[in-house]
Amino acid sequence: MSSPEFDRPTSPKDYRVNFFRPQAGFMRREVIYISIALIAWALLTFGFQFLIYSGQTDASGSGPLTRQTIFSFPFEYWFTGQFLIVWFILICFLFNLMVDRLTERYRQRRQQ
Amino acid sequence: MENEFKLVPLLILALFLGISFIVGVASRTRKGEYYPVSAHAVGRIGIGAAIASNWMSAASFLGIAGIFYLKGYFALAYVIGWTGGYVLLLVLLAGQIRRFGKYSAPEFVEARYDSPVARFLSAVITIIISLIYCVAQYKGIGLIFAWIFGIDYTVALLLGVGVIFAYLAISGSLGATRNQQLHYAVLLLTFLIPLMALSAKLGYGRWLPQIGYGAALSEVNRLSGVEMAAPWASATPYEWVALCFTLMVGTAGLPHVLSRFYTLPNIRVARWSVVWGIFFIGLLYWSAPAFATFAKLLQLRGEMPIDGVAAHQIADVIVIKAAEWGGLSPWLVGMLAVGGIMAAFGTITSMLIGGAGAFSHDIYYRILNPEASERQRMKVAKGATLVLAILVVLAAVNPPGLIAEITAVAFALAGNTLFPVFLLGIWWDRTNKYGAIAGMTLGIAITFAALVFGSICPVLHTWLPSTSSALIGAPLVIIVMIVVSLLTPPPPDAIRRHLVEKVHSP
Repeated sequence: MSSPEFDRPTSPKDYRVNFFRPQAGFMRREVIYISIALIAWALLTFGFQFLIYSGQTDASGSGPLTRQTIFSFPFEYWFTGQFLIVWFILICFLFNLMVDRLTERYRQRRQQ
Repeated sequence: MENEFKLVPLLILALFLGISFIVGVASRTRKGEYYPVSAHAVGRIGIGAAIASNWMSAASFLGIAGIFYLKGYFALAYVIGWTGGYVLLLVLLAGQIRRFGKYSAPEFVEARYDSPVARFLSAVITIIISLIYCVAQYKGIGLIFAWIFGIDYTVALLLGVGVIFAYLAISGSLGATRNQQLHYAVLLLTFLIPLMALSAKLGYGRWLPQIGYGAALSEVNRLSGVEMAAPWASATPYEWVALCFTLMVGTAGLPHVLSRFYTLPNIRVARWSVVWGIFFIGLLYWSAPAFATFAKLLQLRGEMPIDGVAAHQIADVIVIKAAEWGGLSPWLVGMLAVGGIMAAFGTITSMLIGGAGAFSHDIYYRILNPEASERQRMKVAKGATLVLAILVVLAAVNPPGLIAEITAVAFALAGNTLFPVFLLGIWWDRTNKYGAIAGMTLGIAITFAALVFGSICPVLHTWLPSTSSALIGAPLVIIVMIVVSLLTPPPPDAIRRHLVEKVHSP
């Protein structure tokens, strides 16, 4: 409990780094946060385009979504062109908060 | 109206160059600092502004509005690609690269893959990216100088480049440094103040033109009878997604974007400054389509029919045209033009210095002549800057596309080569030099496939368009890197240990 080895991998020779099989502890938790952030990123960026595509009533992509308006913008335009940037900022903000807390926790544990 | 000399914009340009010169001289740190990578401790917001100022180029300032003017919703792939890429960068790479502790893309590649060949390849890629990026900037400079002086594009290009090099030579010899925060403020204000004036004049509100132009967009749709905002009006969903994805992975792999993170005081500051960076970039991107919308509206109201060819020609200066057609004062129009020049100018400086640095340090010093002295390397760097600048002029005389499109090719190259090399290098310890070399070679081939073989094999233009090749390219390169790495011996233990103990530890 007093050595800096505390939070090291279980075996000292385990130098595996793999996003899909992260080592227990800090790396695994960080990978969880990263995955959540990436899902949030992809879902609203590309998922929304897919939504337009699957709901379209003609080849130019018009459909129920494009008939709605918000601030006088067609809804899909406002969502992609303006809201997604806000969404990106939000993802980054929350990700930083979580990773800050995580780092803090593991650093303390290491110093004990 | 076109071919006349405009004094006011020229005065503003002289004024702005003068101010940034004086500030640069006043804030110089030490003499002869030719390759400044230092970021002063100015807090997260200040670093965020520096990230944004490093990012804003003619593609942001002129290109996005231009592409929106021509292609409507398709342009949002640029807006989203160039902001969403920072999410990828932040969550997957920024902190880890900062912990890795190398100062440039080729440095990282050599340290991670322990191979001079991989280093050489990444340096060549860095140089090609700088060249492509600069071609787009030069086009912007040529167009604006042509507008200011009322002269031919080619002459204007040479004049503009001459002015820039004179400025760089003088400020370089006096040791002037560039103040990133001031640069960002200049870009933002020269963009927003004319937009606010234009929006007020057209009756869409002065204070929030970013929201106000929604009504203008509806009116454009009504007057023209064409849905400017219809999602796939000028490109298929595949083209939209491919472009957006390419720009995102490209952003996360661009050497000059990554290099901002190496020099920050600590990881926490690096991560938080990204949030501010996206916000500051967003301020401009929320506004850019408004210029194009107002330009369209003025055309429709004034019944100025502009055919396809003419529209294509003015698209890259549509920001300035909108202000002119709206009857803004020459001071405001000039301000906008000068903002465009300053955006291009800042990018050219950092791109040429980055490209020349990759040549003098990573190719000349590390491979060709390891005994070279500091002075010799400096000389080579200056020579390389000049050679690169001339190559760019040759390419920019006949620009191959719109500013945003040219820039996108640089992103495709970064996304197909450096992004996979960084991603796997950080997140999979088993990646080795053979994988990296194979991946980068394949990535270069994919990026330029459509340009080189497009005439023989037209299907390449459909699936691997040169602006958008990374949707297929990047995953393919990643797969090849994994397969090649598994078939060859694993990298040395020291590197894998560094990954676990330094890069992936709190």
